[in-house]
Amino acid sequence: MPKSVICYINQFFAGVGGEEKAGIEPYIVEGTLGPTMAIDKALKDANVTYTIVCGDNFMGSNTEEAVDRIIKMIEDKPMDAFVAGPAFQAGRYTVACGAICKAVQEKFHVPAVTSFNEETPGVDMYKKDVVIFKGGNSAAKMRKDVPKMIGYLNKVLAGEPTLGADAEGYFARGMRKEVFLENKHENTAAARGVDMLLKKIKGEPYQTELVIPKRDVVPIADPIADLSKATVALVTSGGIVPVDNPDRIQSASATRWGRYDISKLDALPNRASNGFKTIHAGYDPAAADADPNVCVPVDAMRAYEKEGKLGHLHEYFYSTVGTGTTEGEAARMASEMIPFLKEGHVDGIILTST
Amino acid sequence: MKLEIGNIHVKDVVLGSENSFADGVLTIDKEAAISYLKGEDDHITDLDIVIAHPGDDTRIVPVIETIEPRVRMDGRTLFPGVTGDVVPAGDGELKALKDCCVTVVGKEWGSFGDGVIDMGGEGAKHTRWSEIINICLVGDTDEEFERHEQQKCNHALRWAGHRFAEWLGKIVKDVEAEDTETYVFDPILKRDAARNELPNVAIVLQPQSQMEALGYNDLWYGWDMNKFLPTYVSPTEVFDGAIISGSFMPASSKWSTYEFQNFPLIKELYKHDGVDYNFVGVIMSNLNVALEQKERSAIMVRDMAINLGVDYAIVTEEGYGNPDTDYVRCQVVLEDAGIGVVGVSNESDGRTGVGQPLVVLDEKLNALVSTGNVGELTELPACKTVIGNLEAMNRDGMSGSWGYDEVLGKSARDDGSIIMEDNNWFCGDHISGLSLKTMKEF
Repeated sequence: MPKSVICYINQFFAGVGGEEKAGIEPYIVEGTLGPTMAIDKALKDANVTYTIVCGDNFMGSNTEEAVDRIIKMIEDKPMDAFVAGPAFQAGRYTVACGAICKAVQEKFHVPAVTSFNEETPGVDMYKKDVVIFKGGNSAAKMRKDVPKMIGYLNKVLAGEPTLGADAEGYFARGMRKEVFLENKHENTAAARGVDMLLKKIKGEPYQTELVIPKRDVVPIADPIADLSKATVALVTSGGIVPVDNPDRIQSASATRWGRYDISKLDALPNRASNGFKTIHAGYDPAAADADPNVCVPVDAMRAYEKEGKLGHLHEYFYSTVGTGTTEGEAARMASEMIPFLKEGHVDGIILTST
Repeated sequence: MKLEIGNIHVKDVVLGSENSFADGVLTIDKEAAISYLKGEDDHITDLDIVIAHPGDDTRIVPVIETIEPRVRMDGRTLFPGVTGDVVPAGDGELKALKDCCVTVVGKEWGSFGDGVIDMGGEGAKHTRWSEIINICLVGDTDEEFERHEQQKCNHALRWAGHRFAEWLGKIVKDVEAEDTETYVFDPILKRDAARNELPNVAIVLQPQSQMEALGYNDLWYGWDMNKFLPTYVSPTEVFDGAIISGSFMPASSKWSTYEFQNFPLIKELYKHDGVDYNFVGVIMSNLNVALEQKERSAIMVRDMAINLGVDYAIVTEEGYGNPDTDYVRCQVVLEDAGIGVVGVSNESDGRTGVGQPLVVLDEKLNALVSTGNVGELTELPACKTVIGNLEAMNRDGMSGSWGYDEVLGKSARDDGSIIMEDNNWFCGDHISGLSLKTMKEF
């Protein structure tokens, strides 16, 4: 019996409309729709049984609800694999594909694949969790991107071995596996090692078998000459937020941040007094809920202000959650905070973690 | 120094009532061998010899050591400071019984450093011992002090293995070698101009020396390498029994004595010596656990390399985890000194493959060979024959196997099937250079 594959596409590829229709709620249709016809054709012993459509804005601003509703739509349907996109270079669409693939995979334990261009935010956010093929930058690449992604899925569905991220053409997930090479002398570690050495000596290109990720080291700033005249801001990855979490910052893998007015506060009031709490899922919240100043030390900074040691504490503190958050997302959030900090003439920042 | 190894290829090994070698068949006088080995060490209480062939449906566990049977033509001992007096090694003539090894096996009891060999079936690919005839020396001892310890010196059985290798070698002392491997290592200050123009290459070996207690680590001329400082040595000494393996370190990351005798990375370096580079020898280091000891060893390796005029080096470690710090540090200090390095080791990425591959990472490591992941799981059916005792996997703290896991159950199941980590294959990651494994992103 052919296997069942369920697909996910956005409003644009479903032919519903562009930006003006990006708010449409998820719905499901039987069989193929738009590009999922090409997916169906590329599948070997499987068919596209259903296609889900959701507006990018609806998914983007109601992710949890959208995912829940889609899960409910498919939970009673046979499914051997899930395919989202290809999303090419459409930023929000890539994030939607990543989110739904991750959720479906976790909930139903079936393989999920998608395809994005490498210049999209979905790559960094989801490449660790989902097999994301390296896709083209526009729908014109559909004919190239679909066979690549579905060729891999055919192998997975047939239980055949796959060749690894580079050879298959998906983004490395940071998941390493042993590969047994053919039993011949040039494949031994000794021959590979000396071959690499010879290439290094001759200045020829070679491929290391373990790529060490580049660290993006930020140099430590110069000291502030006179702290008593300086404005200092508090920024945290410890997830301290007002108790109602108005910016809906996620508890892990955060993509959102907030800034909160402390200009009238001598210390952060705690959760019990309806003040601040932590929403960070990576540490025991008890201490920070009881006294959020242990994570964002407004109390100590005020004391220094009074002593005259510190010129001025910036009117806001800035907060996000650091656990599972990618470097790329963290850098983006920082660059969004910087204009506010500059506007407040901040001379220095104390960045607190957990 | 000049070491000549006359190879005698073994097509089969049989047990009989006298020693002989004819038409590629080695016949072992089993009773004589056992009585000799027991006579050399009162601590051996039980000893048997069993032959395992490539392709046999046989599982060998717990494997303690493998050794190539050899004889020194001048009568000197095969393993100086171990099987006899401390005498020079690295120069002279040897005969070696090829395509076979002495495999030392615990009859009942295993330890942390002991491993598994499958001779046939799917498991055969996990070690390269399955490609040669294993002359298994299966025994027990009265070493009660360590009977129930996870770490065992396994002194009596290991030494019996080394003696047995030499005893077997003597059978073919007068047999004509079929081919001869010659390793010449000329004094490096007296080499000709043509060689001196080539880039200088050295290999840094980091053998296992982590145990503070003595008797578990690799031995250099019988000397415990925990009490050792980096030293410049000849590659021919390594080939000629100056160093033997120890009993500590998860099995798949070990270098057995057989691997030292045939160190594949060194043999490979010899192939291009005098053509592509000038091979200037081995810097023998170690893998002690304290940070100060690690730093001292790294500094001494670097200084030796600088003073020898080394331009490029291979660095390789017998281990993973804590030893990765030495492996990485050594490469970093050499690269900082302008010496280009290739590193050879295994990885520890965990069962799902998403863990950090080495304990420390440094961007200066730019040319690495990966020989496996100690954490990868293998599940295999029962083998018809078990040499040793499967229960050791459940009971004795062998690395990479366990007696209880709430999801996976025990490693050696009642029906003879097994589930274990790569860690437990005997020398399975063959870091010395035999490995046919690499690591890929999936």
